[in-house]
Amino acid sequence: MEIPYVVTPRKDTGLFNSKIAIWLFLASEVMLFGGFFSAYVFLRLGADFPWPERTLPVLPGLINTFVLIGSSVTVVFAWASLKLRDWRKFQIFMGITVFCALIFMVLKGVEYNVKLHHQALRLKDYSVIEGHLGYETEDDKPVLDHKGNKIEENLINVETSKLTFNTVRFHKPWVEELLTQAEHRHSKIVLTADVSAITREGQAAEVIAKAGEPLSIELLNRIQKTHLAARSHNGVIRTAALRDEWKKAKAANPDKRGWQIADGVNIDMAVVTPQLLSEISTVAFTVDPSAHFDFHPRDIKPAATQSRLRDDTVIDGKLLDSPMVFHHVDAIDFQHLAMKAEEKGIDPEVAIENSWLIKNSPFAKQAWEWHQGEVAKLKAQLLKDYGADKDGKAIRFPTHKELYRIGWKDFAEKAEDEGRAKLAPADAFKEEFFGPNYEARGDETFPGFSVPREQVGFESKFTPAWNPYYAIYFTITGLHGLHVIGGALVLAYYLFFGRKMYLSNPEWLANRVEIGGLFWHFVDLVWIFVFPILYLM
Amino acid sequence: MADTPEAIKKSVRTYLFVGAILFIGTITTVLVATVPALDVGAHGFDKWDCILGLSIATIKASLVAFIFMHLNHEKKAVYWLFASGLCMVCSLAGLTALALGDPIFDKFFYSGH
Amino acid sequence: MSSHATSPAGHDAHHEDHHHDPGFLRKWVFSTDHKMIGIQYGITAMCFLAFGFYLMMVMRWSIAFPHQPLPEWMSWVFTDGWKARWLQDGKVTGETYNMFGAMHGTIMVFLGIVPLGFGAFGNYVTPLQIGAVDMAFPRLNMASYWVYFLGGIIMCSSFFLESGSAKSGWTNYSPLAGFADGQIVNQWLAGQTQWLLGLVLLITSSLLGSVNFITTIINLRVRGMTWMRMPFFVWSMLVTGFLLLLAFPPLEAAGIMQLMDRVAHSSFFMPSGLFTKTEGLANLSGGGSPLLFQHLFWFLGHPEVYVLLLPAFACVSEIIPANTRKPLWGYKSMVYSVLVLGFLSFVVWAHHMYMTGMGAAVSTFFQTTTVLISVPSVVIITAMLISLWGGSIRFTPPMMWACAFIPMFGIGGLTGLPLAFNLADLHLHDTYYVIGHFHYVVAPGILFGFFAGVLHWYPKITGRYMSKTLNHLHFWPSLICMNLIFFPMLVQGMAGFHRRWYNGGDAYLSKAQDSVNIFGNTVVQHIDMNIIMSMGAWTMAFFQIFFIINLFTSWKFGKKVENDNPWDATTLEWATPTPPGHGNFLVEPVTYRGPYEYSRPDCDSDFLPQWIEPKHLEAPDKH
Repeated sequence: MEIPYVVTPRKDTGLFNSKIAIWLFLASEVMLFGGFFSAYVFLRLGADFPWPERTLPVLPGLINTFVLIGSSVTVVFAWASLKLRDWRKFQIFMGITVFCALIFMVLKGVEYNVKLHHQALRLKDYSVIEGHLGYETEDDKPVLDHKGNKIEENLINVETSKLTFNTVRFHKPWVEELLTQAEHRHSKIVLTADVSAITREGQAAEVIAKAGEPLSIELLNRIQKTHLAARSHNGVIRTAALRDEWKKAKAANPDKRGWQIADGVNIDMAVVTPQLLSEISTVAFTVDPSAHFDFHPRDIKPAATQSRLRDDTVIDGKLLDSPMVFHHVDAIDFQHLAMKAEEKGIDPEVAIENSWLIKNSPFAKQAWEWHQGEVAKLKAQLLKDYGADKDGKAIRFPTHKELYRIGWKDFAEKAEDEGRAKLAPADAFKEEFFGPNYEARGDETFPGFSVPREQVGFESKFTPAWNPYYAIYFTITGLHGLHVIGGALVLAYYLFFGRKMYLSNPEWLANRVEIGGLFWHFVDLVWIFVFPILYLM
Repeated sequence: MADTPEAIKKSVRTYLFVGAILFIGTITTVLVATVPALDVGAHGFDKWDCILGLSIATIKASLVAFIFMHLNHEKKAVYWLFASGLCMVCSLAGLTALALGDPIFDKFFYSGH
Repeated sequence: MSSHATSPAGHDAHHEDHHHDPGFLRKWVFSTDHKMIGIQYGITAMCFLAFGFYLMMVMRWSIAFPHQPLPEWMSWVFTDGWKARWLQDGKVTGETYNMFGAMHGTIMVFLGIVPLGFGAFGNYVTPLQIGAVDMAFPRLNMASYWVYFLGGIIMCSSFFLESGSAKSGWTNYSPLAGFADGQIVNQWLAGQTQWLLGLVLLITSSLLGSVNFITTIINLRVRGMTWMRMPFFVWSMLVTGFLLLLAFPPLEAAGIMQLMDRVAHSSFFMPSGLFTKTEGLANLSGGGSPLLFQHLFWFLGHPEVYVLLLPAFACVSEIIPANTRKPLWGYKSMVYSVLVLGFLSFVVWAHHMYMTGMGAAVSTFFQTTTVLISVPSVVIITAMLISLWGGSIRFTPPMMWACAFIPMFGIGGLTGLPLAFNLADLHLHDTYYVIGHFHYVVAPGILFGFFAGVLHWYPKITGRYMSKTLNHLHFWPSLICMNLIFFPMLVQGMAGFHRRWYNGGDAYLSKAQDSVNIFGNTVVQHIDMNIIMSMGAWTMAFFQIFFIINLFTSWKFGKKVENDNPWDATTLEWATPTPPGHGNFLVEPVTYRGPYEYSRPDCDSDFLPQWIEPKHLEAPDKH
């Protein structure tokens, strides 16, 4: 059995099988990316927050565009070389293509890495601070946490005296983390009271864990096992009892519907209770002496005296001050605040003057005043360059972003205005890829700042969580990156393992390279849209 | 399709030429978006920047599709296969975007309040 | 004459199978033969259908007898531990009902009907009907099956997780689906996340499948098989392939975005200021749009209806001409209709979203296209009906099902019309009327078409007929029960019964029995229908046993077929030996004419297969 038209095209359609298949596949890929682009349009048109426009550094994106276009040219050259039966040239061009893919991914990695380490914070009044977290250093040395890592995370601290675990839902890694923290703080977590349970029907309760037994996964597992066994035993008993009740009730009311008698049908607990085993759904541990534990903000629902973890662990203890400490602030953004103010008919300038940040941070106040001067200069410049209409209003005026956002480049400019040294061109070039250089520019340009927890509205690194723009940015470019990797692997396979096929059936290899090339061009084609949409608009 | 060695050699020059156009197109897009003096429409990003940027991107994409992906001398069947995808994407993006607003209250439809 | 109608080379050529035995694994498990893959798809899909049916039986108990513990004959399936977690004193809880409801829909649509129609029938029959040796990419075909299998396993195994499986309806709307199971720390082990993972795998599977089908149909048609000589079955599969190819990716995009919402805490579908009872103000950026998910979902969701439906059309349209001994009436108009249907199905999706408050202009657009799309479906169903007219009908087992398909699908289709209109839909939306409508399409409609298909091609697959007696025992009770289940739903729905009441409206009774619903109907007037419907469902389950017995016993003990073309049919699959070996045809066939040449006045026999050379005709061929 041989499948026809694998290498040679069919006469009436003029196509070989895999060419039809790849075009179909590409049509479906168009739909996939089309789905994402539709989502982008929909989210942007319907956004109820200031869409971050032109927010990514252009240079890495631009270089990546060049790299992809270049690789598109070389892949088609590689195919042409195969058609001309020139293996050497094919190797060279294909090698360049795969190398381009590598550069692309490295640049992408740098871009992602910078974002994933950059913190953003939206205050309750919708002003936004961006920068890097980190506790103050002591004697020029960073403070280390119990694992010896530099503390950069923003954590919630609780002075913990008691922990109550849900015996089914406790999350093992978190329990282990608690044990490590306790050890680090020279504290012990021990069982508060004896855990006693009826484990066999009709017998007396027995102690399955003694008070004072230290917390361990093994202990929790043991209690969980008892609990689950009791739960299923009791389920069987109760179900049987309810069935009996229904049988009796139906016999007593033969012409009534179920819903008419349902209220009167209940399990007779006096009969059932002696048969039941003990279910232990929670178990309490004492922290002795009470110690302060820290938790990731996403894991905990903090409250003044009793906080709760996502796995249903209850933490008794006083919530400590857990400010978000910015080691360096590199942007202050009032766009969201201004937007909210405009929605309510308040003058944005007034709202900003009254914002918590301006009132509490002299640096922010000073920066905002400086920024207003810059905006005035820009307005004058635009009026001079483009003139005014007949009502005397400027034809061109600053954008919302220029009006209300002080970005890191603005801070750098401010520092130069204030007479601090300019950065060396090489360092400035590096900043285009890695973001602001705190060491070189210094703490005066990007000072630290601490925000009390009660002012925190929403905080996140520049991850998909920060806002739908970053979500769609990461999703589209991530998926595109996966396509780049996939395409490069296929092309690399032809480059490194294609020799045998080249010698036996060069036309087939050429077909395959053409198919692989079609996919590669498509990846380029998607990027041609991704670049302007995500970087320039 | 270019299958003879001569034809392929000839088309190699076309590929280089197209590559150059793509480079120029990219640079144009970036310049228009970043240099204030070249800004089209109002100051900053607005619909004219969007139209210009997407037009350039569409031209670039068509060049890639027609020259690099050989759509210019591909069989009609392929056009049908690929165009079906493009057509559905337009319906998806267009109709979802339209569903955001209610054009019936536009002056075009209704000139009441 | 009828001897010409057998395969080009007769039975004696069987021993010519010169392929060496590929070994058990390669032959039965990792087979690349489209027929074996088709059978694998079929059996897997039927298992999932049975499972989905079981979930529904439990749900029907909760609707009919919400206060009573699940009876032993249904609950023995679960372990005691599972029951203790998910049932309360043996009663079905709201949460469990939601879980079963979501999974019933998902399993039936994505794991049952699509793989049965497209995967099983499509795989087995399409290459045979176009005279191909196999699919264009046999290994891709195998991959497609195994990815589907894996996706199904991932989805169903989530029943055993602490979180249980997905609970947000088969439509999985955000923001509900976005924060459901949010209490689970390791999101990869939450049912709601596994649903998404399973879905992404299923979409990948159907992508591989559809690329393969379309390529096969375009490029592997045998000599003489021009477009207009293709059986309607193949046309349906081609259109289905395109629907899968183009409609599924936007859902994949939506699935990926929802996955991001769950594991990376993004807010694609989460609006600003989301406040829930359990979480309080959500720790999310907000700014996303729940409506976006609905758009992307229904962009798939509506074409998906036709992905379900077209294979059933395909089966029935093959069975009707073979059993009426008459050409399919209006073959060409059916072909054009199915193409138009395929195209229009992409621009009607928002009729599922009239309640979302989208603009009146856009509503009007979708209302118009929705009404338009009924035209091609009516053309097809009318053509089938007219095909019966004046035929000498053989009431073979498949024909019984095919004949039942037409009116049952008719009810399903016509009850859809009120839902197409914005105004009527506002009342009927999310009521049992909707459930009744689409179940009429899917259960007595599409499934009857598939039963017909199984009975029709069974002799080709096994060389034996299925039992007529067992079929009667299966067919008549199924027909009656289907209507018992679904017709009362239409009535209840118009009275305002909501589709997601896990206790069937019982909650309204205990407080205010005379509470007036809409149009003066009260809940108490219609609540007893719940019991009738549930009884119907369980009775129907019992009679499906006869089908299962029939399916397996006939394999060994059924009546043997007399020749390779037992139904005296005309399409190419009957030109193969029975069962067809690897590579299908002993001699590559050539197609000489259209697919439905029955009762030609110029022939002695009442059928003229596509593969018979014109010179074999006793009367000269007039073409």
